[in-house]
Amino acid sequence: MEIKLQKKDEYRWLIPKTGEMRVPGLVFSNSELIKTVEKDQSLVQVANVATLPGIVKHSLAMPDIHWGYGFPIGGVAAFDMEEGIISPGGVGYDINCGCRIMTTLLRVGEIRPMLKGLVSALFRNIPAGVGSRGAIRLSKADERKVAIEGSAWAVRNGYGQPEDLERTEDHGAMDGADPSVLSERALKRGIDELGTLGSGNHFLEIQVVDQIYDRQLAKDFHLYEGQVTIMIHSGSRGFGHQICDDFLKEMGKHVSVKGFQLPDRQLACAHLKSDLGRRYLAGMACAANYAWANRQVLMHLAHETLLATLAISPQDLGMELLYDVCHNIAKKELHEVEGNEITVCVHRKGATRSLPPGHPKVPEIYRHAGQPVLIPGDMGTHSFVLAGAQGAMEQSFGSTCHGAGRVLSRTKAVKMAKGRAIHRELEDKGIFVQSRGKRTLAEEMPDAYKDVSQVVEVVHQANLAKKVARLRPLGVMKG
Amino acid sequence: MSTTAPDYTLLDHTADLGIRVRGTDLKDLFESAGRALMHLMIRAEVPSKTQSIKISVSGEDLADLMVRWLGEILYLFAGEDVVVTSIRIGSISSAHLAATLETAPLEPEVHEILREIKAVTYHQIQVTETADGWEAIVIFDV
Repeated sequence: MEIKLQKKDEYRWLIPKTGEMRVPGLVFSNSELIKTVEKDQSLVQVANVATLPGIVKHSLAMPDIHWGYGFPIGGVAAFDMEEGIISPGGVGYDINCGCRIMTTLLRVGEIRPMLKGLVSALFRNIPAGVGSRGAIRLSKADERKVAIEGSAWAVRNGYGQPEDLERTEDHGAMDGADPSVLSERALKRGIDELGTLGSGNHFLEIQVVDQIYDRQLAKDFHLYEGQVTIMIHSGSRGFGHQICDDFLKEMGKHVSVKGFQLPDRQLACAHLKSDLGRRYLAGMACAANYAWANRQVLMHLAHETLLATLAISPQDLGMELLYDVCHNIAKKELHEVEGNEITVCVHRKGATRSLPPGHPKVPEIYRHAGQPVLIPGDMGTHSFVLAGAQGAMEQSFGSTCHGAGRVLSRTKAVKMAKGRAIHRELEDKGIFVQSRGKRTLAEEMPDAYKDVSQVVEVVHQANLAKKVARLRPLGVMKG
Repeated sequence: MSTTAPDYTLLDHTADLGIRVRGTDLKDLFESAGRALMHLMIRAEVPSKTQSIKISVSGEDLADLMVRWLGEILYLFAGEDVVVTSIRIGSISSAHLAATLETAPLEPEVHEILREIKAVTYHQIQVTETADGWEAIVIFDV
């Protein structure tokens, strides 16, 4: 299938409706990024998503789009609640993969001498890497509570503060979670993974705010130059993977029963109104809540580690949650379509919610500023804080980009890294990295990713989110 | 895993990891695919003590059967901390297979984990008969 892109303006490309497509595709990009996108199959995937029943308006792609299985990563699609479908492949395996940023009262100069020790201490205290098990072993009853209550369970059990909930997307708990739809395998895997970072692109980072783009918004988010921040990027671990896997298998059967014509088997889906569709939503919500509780526990472990290693009081550290937002999810949301406000199911696979100022779902403390949008970079480059913008509601169902997006396959990255000491290269740039997996550093090296600053520039220019601040890594803990 | 590397090649995909695996017949293909999966994840000496387990897997067709078969081996590793050290497929049809697996508990001192494979995907899955046997393409979520 050949995709003919039509350039609409400097930041938008259209994939005209052809063949089985029910709606056109819309890609946010710039003239440089679009070249890398055209090289892989991700635009075909945007077109494939456009063929799914009940899709509304556009099949969308964010500037960090890259090839995924089924849906592209960086893909957004909204589906009508009556006619539309829900697809586990449109959410991704790592349900509610996302990130959170904590601000501190520390300045970069104060921690630089202790950086190595700090990263090592984080490494000792936070389980990471393949098959890592948590500091917490849940009882079966507590696991159900985590799946239903999410972050609130963590806070009630001493991991963090009640005010953290307000600063978490959906207060850290999605409605409709029902653990009775989960398999024994999913429940087994969830028992001892809470409070683990995971592997691959997941990380915990000590950062410094190194550039402010919007003084007022930065003030609203309590960010200032030279300030130390902590970022956590993790998800629902094996629990979420198992839930996705279980439902993909079931939906594969469903597709052949219902006779959907799918261009790719990984796009297996069920009608939102069907029993299977509802069960997946109930299971997905369990994983989403587990991920929020997981990041809440990880934040607590990081807080304890910082206090002990720096030997300072909680008041002096002054660690506060800025926000927690997910980038792999499907949610029922109100959006305006052709002049009418309707409920649609928005799939965000590698895309972040971006709500504008005044939106009722933005926490009161940020309501005048817009929802904080957190964009993790790769380990050698910057991460960004943005604020939700009105353009996202008008163009992308309240969504924006989620990160850098890969340009090199892992095999190519490893080949490219041969003979190089990636950790030394990063240390030369003032970034201290420790990683559990042997190949992780090579696979995740900066050259493997798109330039995140370009990605962020596109969403800023296209009015999907506003740039607020840039964060530079100082110490990175990789899984 | 055994000392000889299974017959597979890595496919280059931006976001994920894929393999192309070949077999003289279906049994050989499915055995090779299982061995390739373990070979990608683990490096270890052949353990002296293994436990033999029997599993059977059903699927809608050969492609679905492949995803589910590899999914079982992956679950043993990720969910049960069990490493599959050798595979023998007893019977196979387009919708069903029965296999005997030699397994050992995962031990960090003995098994070096090379990379995490998180799921076996249906994306671009292919199981096809070729001029000289069978071939499969499988993409993993990593």
